[in-house]
Amino acid sequence: MKQRVQPRTLFICLSLLCLLAVWLSLALGPVSLPLFDTMRAGLRLLGLPIAADGLQQAEMILGQIRLPRTLLGLAVGAVLALSGVAMQGLFRNPLADPGLVGVAAGAAVGAAVAIVGGSWLGGLPEVLAPYLLSLCAFIGGLGVTALVYRLGRRDGQTNVATMLLAGVAMTALGGAVVGLFSYLADDATLRTLTFWNLGSLNGASYQRLWPLLLVAAGVAVWLPRRAMALNAMLLGESEARHLGIDVERLKRELVFCTALGVGAAVAAAGLIGFIGLVVPHLVRLLAGPDHRVVLPASLLAGGVLMLLADLAARLLLAPAELPIGIVTAFIGAPFFLFLLMRGRS
Amino acid sequence: MMRRPVALLALCASLVFSNQALAAETLQRWVSAGGALSEWISALGGEARLVGVDTTSQHPSSLKSLPSVGYQRQLSAEGILSLRPDVLVGTEEMGPPPVLAQIRKAGVRVELFSSKAELAAVDENLKHLGQLLGAEQQAATLASGYHQQLDALQAKVRQAQAGQKAPGVLLLVGHAGAKPLIAGQGTAGDWLLSQAGGRNLAAHQGYRNFSGEALAALDPDVIVFSDRALADEQALQALLKENPALAGSRAVREQRLVSLDPTLLVGGLGPRLPATLQSLAATFYPAAKASLAQ
Amino acid sequence: MLQAEGLYLQRGSNEVLHDIHLQLSPGQVVGVLGPNGAGKSSLLGVLCGELAPDRGRVTLQGRALADWAGQERARRLAVLPQVSSLGFPFRVEEVVSMGRMPHGTGQRRDAEIVEAALRAADAWHLVARSYLALSGGERQRVHLARVLAQLWPGEAGTTLLLDEPTSMLDPLHQHTTLEAVRRFAERGAAVLVILHDLNLAARYCDRILLLEQGRCHAFAAPEAALTPAALKAVYGIDVLVQAHPERGHPLIITR
Repeated sequence: MKQRVQPRTLFICLSLLCLLAVWLSLALGPVSLPLFDTMRAGLRLLGLPIAADGLQQAEMILGQIRLPRTLLGLAVGAVLALSGVAMQGLFRNPLADPGLVGVAAGAAVGAAVAIVGGSWLGGLPEVLAPYLLSLCAFIGGLGVTALVYRLGRRDGQTNVATMLLAGVAMTALGGAVVGLFSYLADDATLRTLTFWNLGSLNGASYQRLWPLLLVAAGVAVWLPRRAMALNAMLLGESEARHLGIDVERLKRELVFCTALGVGAAVAAAGLIGFIGLVVPHLVRLLAGPDHRVVLPASLLAGGVLMLLADLAARLLLAPAELPIGIVTAFIGAPFFLFLLMRGRS
Repeated sequence: MMRRPVALLALCASLVFSNQALAAETLQRWVSAGGALSEWISALGGEARLVGVDTTSQHPSSLKSLPSVGYQRQLSAEGILSLRPDVLVGTEEMGPPPVLAQIRKAGVRVELFSSKAELAAVDENLKHLGQLLGAEQQAATLASGYHQQLDALQAKVRQAQAGQKAPGVLLLVGHAGAKPLIAGQGTAGDWLLSQAGGRNLAAHQGYRNFSGEALAALDPDVIVFSDRALADEQALQALLKENPALAGSRAVREQRLVSLDPTLLVGGLGPRLPATLQSLAATFYPAAKASLAQ
Repeated sequence: MLQAEGLYLQRGSNEVLHDIHLQLSPGQVVGVLGPNGAGKSSLLGVLCGELAPDRGRVTLQGRALADWAGQERARRLAVLPQVSSLGFPFRVEEVVSMGRMPHGTGQRRDAEIVEAALRAADAWHLVARSYLALSGGERQRVHLARVLAQLWPGEAGTTLLLDEPTSMLDPLHQHTTLEAVRRFAERGAAVLVILHDLNLAARYCDRILLLEQGRCHAFAAPEAALTPAALKAVYGIDVLVQAHPERGHPLIITR
């Protein structure tokens, strides 16, 4: 049998990788800052008394642009990866993805309403616009997931197979609605909508970051505590029940967790795919399916992957920027094909 | 004693003017996010100051060798800052807003211009650009010249309309001929058509797809086509091939088809327009071609 | 002790269970037999709480099944389903350790119990293998080890419900499995096992519940329940019943 990576080794490696990714994300960028300046500016930001001469640009770039962006990348990557694990546990299928419950489609509809509707109203006040977009995306994501969950419930029980079909249907419907809005939009609004659908960590700022950080922290603390219950879920719903797990409550919590987490991530950074699918898979390939390892490892690996993808997005076409959803798709799709081919041999 | 207020006045005036001159002098490195704006900057002699442009800035062609800061609505703060600019100019379409805020915070001036398809916008933009470049005189000259050219064109068009009715015109914007969008009311394309003396047959707002039947029903006298992928003759062939419904229209039968550079339709009115308008008007009023061509 | 009183279950227009009374006493193995569609799996479903009966009740240690809290109940009642749909590459020992979830006995004790359960199910040699790489029969034995581990060592007060645990096993393992189940019962556990092999049931069960279209045809010791007349009525087959030459339990031979 294939050897598994020991949990301790995995966590040490992932933690080191995470630190490395954070460091790279803070140190590299289109503006080439001398490393020494970056380090001094970083120490200043931490509150240490370092002389400020000549560090204004470094401080500004580091503190206002790169640091919020790094935090955003970590939070989004972690939340998307954890939600992927949650969905794969809920549907008991390693190919499940947070989008299956319709949260991504709902968020896209919300964003389309905000972007296109906003342009019809002749543009929103500039101060309000970004918050409104995030809010609409978040509400859309939660709303559609709630609907999908409701459709899957009967007689006080949640039927996962029904939920899956409902999620597929809502995703198709959401696509149609976004399509309609795209048709009704003028050229410029259409470009904005398209770019939102591709996802980006561009323009990250602290005040837009904190809701996501709160949600991410909540999910990161809560979900690993359900690791054993998730393991039992993989046996089967009735088997898990016979082991004493409150399965209905667990299902409800998993759906809620995903809706909240993915909703917040999409609201902050647009649609970014494949992280929820690829990261848990990768972790399971290395270390086995025990959720006590998979959950914390996915959290770290998701953050790392996101930061590395963002580096590519920022640097490949500098001074322009690639939408990050494109980078994750380019990583995710070939990886998926690789998994398929490996499975066949 | 009497000379003091005058001296004071002179001192203040010189300070104000020198401030402006100083301002213009300090704005040496420019990033432009708007096609028409980049053209105006070049026309005002400021091309040497440009260190980066967006993807819609394609004229003059020498701009294409400058670093690209991407699409004007999806700018990257760090990307722009890496070019160490003194000022970022763009239209109200520039974005996203958090990035502009970050750029401002870094101490870079961000100047906004209007992209509306109106002459008043051109005046305002030229005046503003002139101030920033320290070329107010040149800007004023350009502006008045622009007005002159357009007024002259208007006069000639009115003259031509005495002998010929205004033609029904459609402006089709396509990609390799397929699925062309029709320019309706309120678009830059519409402004172009009416300035050249045409009658825009499209009554809707903005750019819209039309079905083949609807196109045929409108039966324009002249078709102006603008293709993002192909040039002139190839674009025309592609357009007719992809839209067989047009073959029956008067414009095709009488071969009254004109191609239009698509970059003229975005980002506001630019300096190349009067020349284009003249050739458009010549096509609209073939009888008066001689006088319009002058 | 698990007790069922007056169970009725309707599915659509079909009456699946009709007035079933059952008592699982410590130390006893009850076998449930009947043709397809007789209601065996539905009975198991009601007994373990998966299905709610339309009438009647199920009590565990005198308390209604629904009144038991999840983990408490899991420490006393374990269920082995007929098929498993586990699709993730757990190791065999991880699968069996899941049986220890309702308990808080600590890693070392759990590891000892896992080993003992695997040995009882004759699956100890599979301990480090990936579950997905096993054959159907091997998987069945791993799950048996899991439910044994859940109730280990099987004292009075615990109840084990098994749905056709030998369906995919070769003859040797059919016997080793049922012997392990008997040993479990000997330590005090109450066991109910659904079987479709009449002779296995006759050999290993203390009492047999013979179901016919949801009704109890007989609930007695194998000698009394498995008579040619009864089997003809329930299954429609003609049989000869003789005593096993060495062991003495009924041996059913189809004519």
